[in-house]
Amino acid sequence: MNCRAWLVAALVLFLPTAYAAESGYTLKPTELKDKPFLDAVTVVTLSEKTQVEIVTREGAWMQIRTKDKQQGWVRMLSVRLGNPDQKPQSGGNLLSAIGIGSRPRPTTTATVTTGVRGFSEEDLAKSAPNPAEVEKMKGFAATAADAQQLAVQGKLEQNEIAYFDADGKPLKEKK
Amino acid sequence: MNPVGCVLVSLALSALVLGGCSQQQAGAFMQSINESGGLDKTLKSLRAPTQAEEIEIGNGVAETLLGARPLLDDPDLQRYVNAVGMWVAQQSERPALPWHFGVNDSDHINAFAAPGGYIIVTKGMMKQLRNEAELAGVLGHEVAHVTQKHHLKALRKSALVNLLSAGVAAASAESRHAEMVQQLAGPTKELYARGLDKADEFEADRMGVVLAARAGYDPYGLPAVLTTLASADPQDNFLSLLTKTHPLPQVRLDRLAPGLATLDGIKAPQNPTRFQQYTRKLQLASR
Repeated sequence: MNCRAWLVAALVLFLPTAYAAESGYTLKPTELKDKPFLDAVTVVTLSEKTQVEIVTREGAWMQIRTKDKQQGWVRMLSVRLGNPDQKPQSGGNLLSAIGIGSRPRPTTTATVTTGVRGFSEEDLAKSAPNPAEVEKMKGFAATAADAQQLAVQGKLEQNEIAYFDADGKPLKEKK
Repeated sequence: MNPVGCVLVSLALSALVLGGCSQQQAGAFMQSINESGGLDKTLKSLRAPTQAEEIEIGNGVAETLLGARPLLDDPDLQRYVNAVGMWVAQQSERPALPWHFGVNDSDHINAFAAPGGYIIVTKGMMKQLRNEAELAGVLGHEVAHVTQKHHLKALRKSALVNLLSAGVAAASAESRHAEMVQQLAGPTKELYARGLDKADEFEADRMGVVLAARAGYDPYGLPAVLTTLASADPQDNFLSLLTKTHPLPQVRLDRLAPGLATLDGIKAPQNPTRFQQYTRKLQLASR
């Protein structure tokens, strides 16, 4: 194998890892479980603002790794993405700031933006109705059969689940 | 159409679409408002727009939203988002609406619903998503706005006032749609810059999560998006309109938590591979 082939192989091997690494910290003292279940064994209770590296997500759970190499599962809602000691991230750059995203992007400030295609309040105020774009949008419409096909290919199985109210109680009548 | 019926129809925003009354009738109608105890009372007596009128109004709103930023030139992605959105919408109470989904060419992070099933997600939002379950969660939130007619209800009052002051009811049949859109543009801009009631947003979150779960996705897609947004500076330029028009992401997560907990047992796909395949161009393209 020549040098170039090695380089390609290395890129293929390491790119997905680089892509998946997200970081965050615990919002409150949080139980680290050995499996993604409430009744799973608690490995340790992580203190507030423990920095974690996110390995994967599954339903309500995040698989994480701490700096001292402890691994396990925590509740997604107990974790805030980013760094506890840094300013919140710029919105245009969220995923790359927290570890996802393929490339760095230009920085912006609240007042100066260069080459930004906006949808700000000002852009909205200046809008002139564009009927041609709506017709174009209609041209991309999916039929119910298209949707069904997407579901089958994506192994999506329909569930019967009731809506719930603000307290989390199921609503009797389907809205 | 009898005069009373004509007045009632012209009263509604829908009059611009299907009605057609003379200036004289519009004047009589203004008088009838004064006699019947003011605008608020008259508004309450209005019939709701029909589904056809709702769709026509939504078409007009979409023209203004896409007037601010056009669609992203990526047909494969547009069709994919339509298929995912249609699948989510099939789980709602209004599967037969002519649902239309689009990704616009904006770096801002946001998503919009218009009456009758028109839904627009920004390119900036698409770039923040990790997988199809997150997309389904965002689209489920917007689908809920449509099925609950949140924007339609909010538009009726302001659009009506506008219509009356302009006396557009006398518009000719040919120009009626364009005129309706023009009349609707002001109230549309005002509503989408102001946002809905917070209660509508919380309801759309609760319903959106359930719609995605019914469609067979990991129900935590929308919460995962909200955790991404919660890590950002809410005053950031890319988030300015979303922040202005929605409760803060952490508040939305807190409000969702009780209901979400009931969906904990569900193990379902996130489909990251398919999502990344369709968004690859978008991720690689520089702004």
